[in-house]
Order: sequence, then C-alpha cells, then structure tokens
Amino acid sequence: MQTQIENLFKSLKNEADFVAFKTVTEKTRDLSVRNGKPDDISTSIDSGLTIEMMKDGHIGYGATCEITEAGIKRAFAQAKAMTEASSRIPVHRFDLSVRPKSNGSYTSRRQKALDQISISEIYDFLKQTSSKLKVNEKIISAVSDAMVIETEQNYLSSTGSSFEQNFNIVVSSFSATAQDNGESQTRSFHGGRGNCQQIGAEYFDVSRALHECEILSREAIELLTAENCPSDTRDLILSPDQMLLQIHESIGHPLELDRILGDERNFAGWSFVQQSDFGKLKYGSDMMNVVFDPTVPNEMASYKFDEVGNPAEKKYLIKDGVLLAALGSLESQARTQISGVANSRSSSWNRAPIDRMANINLEGGDLTLDQMISKVENGIIMFANRSWSIDDYRRKFQFGCEYAKEFKNGKLGQTFKNPNYRGVTVPFWNSLAGLTNQPETYGSPYCGKGEPSQIIRVGHSSPYALFKNIEVFGG
Amino acid sequence: MVNLKTYLKTLSQDIFSKLTLDEELSLFVHSEESQFIRFSQAKVRQNTTVHQHEVVVTYQKDQRKIKFTLNLCLDQSIDTASILKELQICRAQLPLTDIYPQYVAMENHGVSESIKKVERPDDLAMLKTITESFSGTDMAGLYCSGPVRQVSINSKGQFHYFENDFFFLDYSIYNGPKAAKGFFSCEKWNEKDLRENIGRTRDKLNLLDQPTVNVPKGKYRVYLEPMALFEIVGMMSWGSLSYSALRQGRSPFQKLQQNEVSLSPQLNLIENLGLGYVPAFNSIGEVADKELELIKNGKLMNLLTSTATAKEYGVSSNKAEPREGLRSPEIKPGTLAQADILKKLDTGLYLSNLHYINWSDVQSARMTGMTRYACFWVEKGQIKGPIQDLRFDDSMFNLLGSHLIDLTTHQELFVESATYQKRYLGAYKLPGALIENFNFTL
Repeated sequence: MQTQIENLFKSLKNEADFVAFKTVTEKTRDLSVRNGKPDDISTSIDSGLTIEMMKDGHIGYGATCEITEAGIKRAFAQAKAMTEASSRIPVHRFDLSVRPKSNGSYTSRRQKALDQISISEIYDFLKQTSSKLKVNEKIISAVSDAMVIETEQNYLSSTGSSFEQNFNIVVSSFSATAQDNGESQTRSFHGGRGNCQQIGAEYFDVSRALHECEILSREAIELLTAENCPSDTRDLILSPDQMLLQIHESIGHPLELDRILGDERNFAGWSFVQQSDFGKLKYGSDMMNVVFDPTVPNEMASYKFDEVGNPAEKKYLIKDGVLLAALGSLESQARTQISGVANSRSSSWNRAPIDRMANINLEGGDLTLDQMISKVENGIIMFANRSWSIDDYRRKFQFGCEYAKEFKNGKLGQTFKNPNYRGVTVPFWNSLAGLTNQPETYGSPYCGKGEPSQIIRVGHSSPYALFKNIEVFGG
Repeated sequence: MVNLKTYLKTLSQDIFSKLTLDEELSLFVHSEESQFIRFSQAKVRQNTTVHQHEVVVTYQKDQRKIKFTLNLCLDQSIDTASILKELQICRAQLPLTDIYPQYVAMENHGVSESIKKVERPDDLAMLKTITESFSGTDMAGLYCSGPVRQVSINSKGQFHYFENDFFFLDYSIYNGPKAAKGFFSCEKWNEKDLRENIGRTRDKLNLLDQPTVNVPKGKYRVYLEPMALFEIVGMMSWGSLSYSALRQGRSPFQKLQQNEVSLSPQLNLIENLGLGYVPAFNSIGEVADKELELIKNGKLMNLLTSTATAKEYGVSSNKAEPREGLRSPEIKPGTLAQADILKKLDTGLYLSNLHYINWSDVQSARMTGMTRYACFWVEKGQIKGPIQDLRFDDSMFNLLGSHLIDLTTHQELFVESATYQKRYLGAYKLPGALIENFNFTL
C-alpha cells in the first residue's frame, strides 16, 4: 500500500506550490471489564491519508480512507478545488519555511512491543484487577479498562521530507464505585484516564496493579462516611494527578498561539494572554518553571517531529515565573514573530494540524512531601481530578477531585469527600509556595479542540504543589 | 463515489455467506463526505475535505461478543478481505473470553430507508456567499456540509439506511474582545435567511457597545436563551438519564429517580426522534417509538435504557443507544411570550450562551460553568450593558426545579454540530428559560 501511495505522491506532488502526503494507521485494542465480567472487547484499525497542499501561500487539506488510486485522486481533486478558491481569501500567506525538510524516524521507547501481548492476556489482566477492586458488596461497580494503541505515521513532502514515527501507547484505568445509604463515591487510578504513557507490553504488571486496586477500593468505601470538604480559604496541596489538569487548563491552553490569534474563538475560546505578554508577564511565583518537552522517553506526547516536520526540542515556556514562549507552530510563529515550538499536531488522518500541547511539564522543587506538609499550619491535600471547568479566556477555573485529606501542624488528619477549589489563573500561580522534588508523569488521551474538532494526546509531569490561601469547598 | 447502499448490500451478503449457522454478525456503518471550512477574521484559515467510511463489526457466538472497526476503501475485494481477516482473528479470540452479562441475540429489526438533502449551492458558491456576507466583520467559525450516512445491517436480514445531506454555519462575530454567537442551518436554502441571521447577531453585538456593568458574585434572576439552555440539557447526556449509570452509581438524577426531589411542574422533556435529524434506528438496528417521555410535569417518567442494559438488570428496554445519551431531545414550551422576556426578567442577567459546564457534585446534580458571549445586566426590563463573564455553581434540581419561573412559548431548533473525529447526528428543540436565584460564585 505504501508503495502505491508513494507512486501517487510522485505523480501529484507538482500539482500545487507544495504537496505532502501523511499516512496514518492506528490499531487500538480497547477492553473493559466490569465486576469481573466483559464489558467491551474491541479492536479498531483506523487508516487513511492526509493530503496537504499550498496554493499562493494558503494551506488546504484533503483526507480520505479510500486508499485506492481512484479514491486518492478524487480526494486530491476536491481538496485542490477548495484550496484554490480559499487561497483568494486566506488569513495569512505562508511561505515554504513553515514546511521544513526533515528526515528520520521515531519509535516509542519500550522493552516489549505491544504486538507481543494478546487480547486474551490483556483481558486476563483486567479480570484480575476488576475482581480485586470489588473488596466487598458496597463496591457496586469495579471497572478495569485498557486502550492499547499502536500508531504508524509516514510523511512525504514535495520539499524532500520523509519521516516515519511509531508510537506504542497504553491508557489504563481502574475505578471502584462504592454505594451505601444513597451515597455513591468513586475512586480511580489517577483520575479516570490520567494513567497513560508511551510504553510497551511491560506495562501489564499485574502484581503492581492489584496493589493499587486494593487501595482504591478501600478509599472509595472510606469516602462513603467521610465529611464533605469544608468551605473556606486555606492552603492547598495538589497531587500530581490533579496538577496534570491544573497545568493543562490554566497553562497549556492559554499559551496556544492559535487561541491568542483568535482562530479558536468560536469553539474552545480565546486567551487572556496577549502577544505583548511574552517576556514580561509574571505568570506565577519565582519557583514556577514550565517546559514544553516532547523529548521525554515514555511520556504520552513524545515525538521526533511535529506533523509538518518541525524537529521537536525542549523549550522553557515559563522560567522563574516569567512567561517566555508560546505553544505556537511554525505557522503561528510566522504570523506573530513570537517564539514557539514544534506543536503542529492533528488527531489523525482526517483532521488538519493545529497548535497543540504535547508534554507540558512543571519542574520539581526541593521539598519532600512530608516537608511540604510540615510547612503548613492548616491545609488540605487533594488527589485525582474528577471535574473541570474554565472560562473561554482561561481565567476563572473550578476543579474538583476525588479524595482529600486535612493536615494540621505537619500531620495528616481526616478524609474529606467532594473536594473542590476555584481561582483565577495568574493570581493562583503566583500563590505557588512549594514544590516537591520528585515529579510524577501522567497525561490525557482526550484533549479536545479545533473546528472541525479533534481529540489529541498530551503528557504532563508535575510534583506535588503547595498554593497559599485558596478557596476550597465541598458538596 | 460508489452508491453506498448498493455497495453495502453486496459486501454484507458476501461476508454473511461465510458465517456458520451458530455465528451472528452485524455491521454498523458511518460514512461522510464532508467539507469543512474554518474561518478567522472572516477569511479562510483552513479548508479540509474528508471522505470517511467506517464500519463497526460485531461478532457473536455462544453468548460471547467481540467488535472490530475498520475503514472501508470502497473496493469490494479489498474491503471483503479486510473484514474476513479480522473475523478470523475474532473467531480465535472469542472462546478465550467469558459470557457477556449484557448479551443480546441478534434479531432482524427490519428494513428501512430515509434520504434527506438540503438543496443549496455547491461549496465553492457557499464559500463566496459566506465571505461576502461577513465582509467588514471580524468573524470566526466553521462551515460544514455534505452527506452523513448511517447504516445498520445484520446477518438476520436487517438493513436500515439513513442519509442526511445537510450543512451548518457555526460562527461568532467580534468587536475587539466583545462577541456575539450565531448558528445557521436550514431545511430549504435561502440566502436572505442567512443575511437575516447575521443581521440579528450583529444587532446583539451592537448592544455590547454599552459600558460594561460590574456584577459581583451572588444570586440573580436570569433569562437563558435557548442556546444557553442547550448547554444545560446537554449535561443530561452525561449519565443523568441513563439507566445503567443509575445502577452503577454514576447518575446525577439518583435523587430524582428516588423521588427525594422533583423538578418544576413546567418541565416536560421528551426524546423526539420525529424531529428527523437522527436515524429512526439505533446502532443495533432497533426502531424506537418516535417519542419517549423522559420528564413529565417535573417527574421522571423514563430513563434511557438500552436493550443490553435491560438484559443485565432485568428491566424493559426503550431501545436507547448503548451509550444511553440523548439523541434528539425536546423541551416543551411554556407561557412566556418572546415580547415579554425583558419585562418578566425585570432585574437580572440576560444570558445568551453558557460554556464548559461540568458536574461539581454529581450526588446533588450540581453543575459549574461560565457565561459566554453576549450576556447583559438588565434593570427594570431595560438592558443596561454587557457583563464580565461569571462562573456559576448550582444544582440542576434548583435551576430546572423550584427556581424555574417559566419557559418561553417559542422554541429554537439546533442541529447537532459536534465534529469530534466524525460528524454527529442529532438535534435539540428548546425554549428559553426564566430562572430565579441562579447562583454565581466567581
């Protein structure tokens, strides 16, 4: 098939000022076991071709799963007609510098390739963990699931790019819902889908997973009799599996340069960040250092090139609390002259690349968690995201977690259910008062954005973080 | 492109002929030929043409089930070979799995065909019309058009075919940071209707020229336009009306189901498949009643219950989709005339849109979200000026319960515009809502 596509590419590559073909084949095995019994066992093979072309500086796209000569030629012709018409009224006229020549390959780091594990082995892993979650009759729903993803991308362009990227990804979750006296509470492994990474079949270590499942179930039952989180203002420690969401919503999205430019206004929204803020805005306290880094082995959104061939490199977005760089692709950089990154990404073959997060990581500090807790007279520590909402400028947010504990004078105290907190982005990050020294790495397979809409994978690593004087509340 | 209906008949017959007597197979096809044009500054940011044909194949035997999904390239020999290859893998895997608690034997749920097309100019002409119509305006948005087809076939003889060739323009226009939202779709194309739609949105934008009113957090009387109510009703697809979610402890409507709370007697919610924007059949081919009462006079009448859920819990199915979300909801109108909205609001907030709603406490159906776009402070029935966006946090049991004052006599129809990975089908028909003591927190 790839040879046929390459031959067609050769015959069509001079039909516009620039032409690129990207093929994607993604195999996803998606299994779910509830209460020890099968809930879903499915395999998806999603394959198709993206055709990218430039006409008079405007870039347009065609996409098809009809991988035949007739199908590709039909998609090419329709995309060409619309791209030519659109090139009369483009937002911006680009030049070929936004499509650099790149060659090479990338494969996710793993010990054992994912095609070495069978459906039945994954199913057995999930059956064992689901059964372990059901510690007693109060657990009414014990769900273990896994998405095992193998992706192949090949990119060819008329400027000589030729690269291949192969991703091995596992997204896995265990969750226990306890119910008693009309009360229901759920605990999950790092908050729904937070547990995701580029990894091989070595992920499926059942002894480690069973240990985690037992803890989750007991915490779900503990929450049934816990008090609601108090409503007041106090110091707040967020665990890394909540920080992933805090980073994602209040740093990642507002720094996307296409949002700042207004392309996303009609859907996900704009940004409070202005083009003039780069190099000046004190986004957070001095201890806040945030990097864009798609080079971290095993993190969810690592790669060698973005999807237009821009080589991936680590870059500070925020250093010592000051905003330095944007999440802007080569196209957004050309429109603004603001320093950006290699983040032109799409969800698959049927969507055009746009400015995206990849791995956005908050660097660690110098405290242990015990030291951090001992710094606070009266506070709350919250774990695992369960609810999120933020305005279209990414200012006013409200997030909820699954589980919380009070701490006083250096000691952990009672457990609270339904913990929530709210704040405003820049004051919140400027209240950052401590970071632990061992970041943990999570991510999300479901970051939504774009028109037409797309869902993309992101990674976020973070230490535990202490924030001063935050509004917290319960159910 | 080939005639999809004919193609699938031949393809499915070929595949089904390879089954043994104790094997069951179904095909659910989603196919679209879509044109997406993304606008910013009333110019084209990106255009994308998509030809996408996906088949979900369900293989069943011995009360066990495995699914696989492939893209069709519409070459008969290639697609047949691809499906048979995956089928062989399923045959090997199936005995290694367990009996499904939700196992439903396949049945022939009949044969049907529904084809709709909104006659309109071609996409190149639409591009010209749209850019000319918004000339001199800072517009951002998405034009989406083309046919979407869904087909449900099984080895028992079932063949349901649905095709809707439609379009929408989802847009917003700007005056600096101030914005007003518009949405245009129609059953019969008329350029004058589009220009009037844009004119109404421009009028709303002009209202934002007044000085901004500072509204502190607190409880206010609120009017929600139908598009704002759309966001709240959309939350009911997040487990609220799902029977399986109730049984698995995930339903925000648990207290409603147990009659611990009730909603307003003015609230009547139905699933109305008769609106015609979704297939009459679900993804396994069952044809549900055109109307299903979900909430009547504030009382929960039915939860969306798929046949799989019904099997697991020993209850009756109402042939909901397996995900048990709303497909085509309608809230019946109330008594508030459009001309009286500001007068009856008197003093409070006029909200055109809400944004990014999520549950803040599932147990009490409490939601948080934001106001968005053209929202105003109103005093004694007069618009005083736009507001800065506010965050709310309140229970649906309040907002659609004791705090609901009235619903409007007019309803608006919103064609589903979601495009995550593929184009969604559906529609919402909703009135506006007048609500008191709406709780704003930030």
